[in-house]
Amino acid sequence: MIKVTNLYKKFGNLTVLNGISTEFKRGEVVVILGVSGSGKSTFLRCLNRLEEPTSGEIWFEDQLITSQGKNINQIREQIGMVFQHFNLFPHKTALENITLAPIKVKNGNVEDTKKLAFKLLKKVGLEDKANYFPSQLSGGQKQRVAIARALAMKPKVMLFDEPTSALDPEMISEVLNVMRDLASEGMTMIVVTHEMGFAREVADRVILIDKGIIVEEGSPNEFFNNAQNERTKAFLSKIL
Amino acid sequence: MNVNLELIIKHFPFLMQGAITTIIITLSSFILGLTIGLFIGIGRISKIKLIQIPSSIYVQFVRGTPMLVQIFILYFGLPSAFNININPYAAGIFALAINSGAYVAEIVRSGIQSIDKGQMEAAQSLGMTNSMAMRYIILPQAFRRILPPLGNEFIILLKDSSLISTIALPELLFNAKLVAARTYDYFSMYIGVALIYLLLTWTSSRLLNYIEKRFAIS
Repeated sequence: MIKVTNLYKKFGNLTVLNGISTEFKRGEVVVILGVSGSGKSTFLRCLNRLEEPTSGEIWFEDQLITSQGKNINQIREQIGMVFQHFNLFPHKTALENITLAPIKVKNGNVEDTKKLAFKLLKKVGLEDKANYFPSQLSGGQKQRVAIARALAMKPKVMLFDEPTSALDPEMISEVLNVMRDLASEGMTMIVVTHEMGFAREVADRVILIDKGIIVEEGSPNEFFNNAQNERTKAFLSKIL
Repeated sequence: MNVNLELIIKHFPFLMQGAITTIIITLSSFILGLTIGLFIGIGRISKIKLIQIPSSIYVQFVRGTPMLVQIFILYFGLPSAFNININPYAAGIFALAINSGAYVAEIVRSGIQSIDKGQMEAAQSLGMTNSMAMRYIILPQAFRRILPPLGNEFIILLKDSSLISTIALPELLFNAKLVAARTYDYFSMYIGVALIYLLLTWTSSRLLNYIEKRFAIS
């Protein structure tokens, strides 16, 4: 579904991504791990071109995302993204946060979109918060609205950029549960996270990025119990 | 030296005529300046050099030259250069608008840049184009933030409008000058005018406070 070949990203003299190649299949849940500064978030942000890759190719289905002439907005409609800091629109209610893009970008019918939004709010357990503004919601609730907002565009794949890193510990599980449900429904998910429990239980594949390259890639079982690479072992010894 | 209250009261209707002109001129040039400032302000942060550079030059030029000089260029300079007649009202309103536009542009620019980068990213990640994101996400939030400095700019403009008394436009200060020249009581007339300006700015800031509260995010 997404195929990445030889992806490089440089910020000035600093090389953040140093030739990454991998593939994400439909329905797959992939967790990307790595210490901070390893390039994992930059990699994720390249996938919908919030970050412009320096070189390399990213294919989304049969479309080359990285080609200059490409209408990236059309592709972004199909790639949902959830941010570390939620990035909800503070001047809009939870409901409006969810309905804005489907109505404006996809010219969706207002009533149908509202129905969909309520369905999604129910799915993330917040149907009673539809008319709340983000400032009236807790961190966990904000992130769940943000997930619903991304889902409202009916994306084919969801990118999660450290979705629980800005949350208080007691709110992490409510967000992870929503993500777990999403995974069990067959959504294709690429998740940058530090939640090892989530990686173990939910991921089909775990990738470790270090210094801008993939150093280890495998099933959670292989990854956590039978790591081959020295750098993986060093990483695991630090976090486990 | 005493303030001759009787004289001020006697000429009060004439002064108020001028005050009304001042209000009309200020309001029209403010609205025009707001429009100029919105475009120039967005232009200042445009990635397109052909838009960004002229916008920056505009702001630099207008902020870097005295307003009185700008008024003179418009009212005395242009007509003599191009052999045309310019109505003092048009010259006054345009001069004030052009000047105010540069300051509003900077207010708009800083307002837009104060919005967290994540807002634009979230909008883009949902497939919105840049202009959609600007219109629905960035500008509505920036607008609330720039209301206080815009109000400030309005009050500055109201006071600076007195500069166009130099092009024989019968606004508040000009009318006061006429009376003062006739009666030789400059002190009373200018104190009177100062009080009327004070009344105008005080009322404006009350009004602006009210508007600010109405638009505050709950």
